[in-house]
Amino acid sequence: MIGMAMLDLHPRVAATTILERRELADGVVLLTLHAPELANATQPGQYLMVIPPSGEAAATALAVYEAEGKRVSILFFVTGKRTRELATLACGDRLDVLGPLGNGFDCSGDTRDVAIVAGGVGIASVWLCARELLRRGAHVRLFYGARTAELLVDAQRFADAGCELVLATDDGTRGERGFVTDTLVRSQRPELIYACGPSPMLRRVGEIASGFGVRAQLSLEETFGCGVGGCWGCVVPLSNASAQAPSFPPAERGGSDVVYARICKEGPVFWAHELRW
Amino acid sequence: MNPQPALAIKLGKLELAFPTLMGSGCYGSGEEFAPFADLSKIGAIVLKSVTRLPRLGNPTPRLVHTPAGMLNAIGLQNPGIEWYLERELHKYAGRPCKIVGSVAGFEIDDYAYVCERLAARDEIEAIELNVSCPNVAREGETFGCDPDLTARVVEAARATTNKTLIVKLSPNVTDIVAIARQAENSGADALAVINTVRGMAIDVETWRPRLGNITGGLSGPAIRPIAVLAVYEIAQAVSIPIVGQGGIETLADALEFFLAGATAISIGTANFTDPRIPERLVAELQAYLTRRNIASIEEIVGRAHVEIATAHQYEGDEG
Repeated sequence: MIGMAMLDLHPRVAATTILERRELADGVVLLTLHAPELANATQPGQYLMVIPPSGEAAATALAVYEAEGKRVSILFFVTGKRTRELATLACGDRLDVLGPLGNGFDCSGDTRDVAIVAGGVGIASVWLCARELLRRGAHVRLFYGARTAELLVDAQRFADAGCELVLATDDGTRGERGFVTDTLVRSQRPELIYACGPSPMLRRVGEIASGFGVRAQLSLEETFGCGVGGCWGCVVPLSNASAQAPSFPPAERGGSDVVYARICKEGPVFWAHELRW
Repeated sequence: MNPQPALAIKLGKLELAFPTLMGSGCYGSGEEFAPFADLSKIGAIVLKSVTRLPRLGNPTPRLVHTPAGMLNAIGLQNPGIEWYLERELHKYAGRPCKIVGSVAGFEIDDYAYVCERLAARDEIEAIELNVSCPNVAREGETFGCDPDLTARVVEAARATTNKTLIVKLSPNVTDIVAIARQAENSGADALAVINTVRGMAIDVETWRPRLGNITGGLSGPAIRPIAVLAVYEIAQAVSIPIVGQGGIETLADALEFFLAGATAISIGTANFTDPRIPERLVAELQAYLTRRNIASIEEIVGRAHVEIATAHQYEGDEG
């Protein structure tokens, strides 16, 4: 995680078993896995590479939604071939995963007033973050947007845990009509922002944070190849001065002030002010 | 009971305990995969290509998943040979498998310079010449698409080192066999067959190419028959060993390449499905040879080569 590069996260191949399968909405699936070695090691904002049981496609990167006791869960929208296959799994099925992976959210500060912004399935990356911030006594406002009311999955769960909810839907069926970032920009300035969602939303969060004069941690999404840092397929332009920048010569040595960092390895969470996208 | 069948092979001077290489650009430096794969059960890692000068790489998106494969256009992102030697290479010492460096370039001199610098290091046991990257704007792939340029690059690199030189060939050519012959005649110790096949994908929502680089290289099972054919034809034309690659995921896939004439195989995209595939393949190859009572993997190399059967003359009533 940001600022905690020394922490040894011990990623591994974990053979898990599906304990529970729930459809939170049409095409939104929650799988709870028996995975004691992952539950203990996972930090907020980390993800898994889920190996397709058929072996017929690349592994899928999915955020760890929840990690508790001996269980971790993954929450995903069925959008293509790979998530369709995962959606067919049932209780008792085996699911092999790599993880926990990536540098997640840094929740270690003593920030009192934070905003978490989640768009669509981005909600899956922020539960552990919200829970940790609440545990540390922060006031957490969750700005949560989706296409339509039904897809604002588990909003009540965040409210029950102590988050103040600000909801938005594209069609106005719940909360404000429009983008969740429009509610953020009109809100009272938080001390720190955490966000996960589609790239246009994250760019806007970065702009809003800059306007507020506060920092933001953004969890980026991109098409992954290997998911473990080996292929340099999922990258984002980052300041070479960032502590998260990959090893690359600076401009004065024929290199560059901006480098492509791997979202899977250096990220997925980056400081908004260090991105050059 | 018979002894375990031998899986060890040689590529020039490079001796590998297993006939499996991890494809350049797919496996980072190996450290990325070390938590998930047993590196002592693979033959060699081919490192990501390095160039004379630092390269930022291509704009995003760089990857698109496609039916039975994926398109990539990374663009040879790397810190350049100086930084690489100074800051990166020491990490590769002491690996439980062999390490093959990969060199890419835009001028003949680049190849020779980077090859010489890299091959001089003890961490590197062999060099792969990437004359076939389809994803760089200028001459990257041109070398591998022209028999004479291929010859000049290989000769220039050959002059700098005695270590094993593997030349990675492009399938995006009219006559890959002619280029393979030139590489052999110019001093290559082995050939890597094939690099990715050029391709593209278009987003029908935005009406724009899906890759930042517009075009990319296709890998995965989608290209396997193309690669098997290339290995088969090249095996008939050269006497140096071939590293077969292109969509290998299963034992049957691996066997196809050996039978077509590959001495070793390289695994790339399959590692993105499951990093345990290479060690599983080695175990399955071992079991296959044992079951068939075959003493060594080398015995099956090229065994699929046959003449086309002549159709029986039709001898009908009408004569």
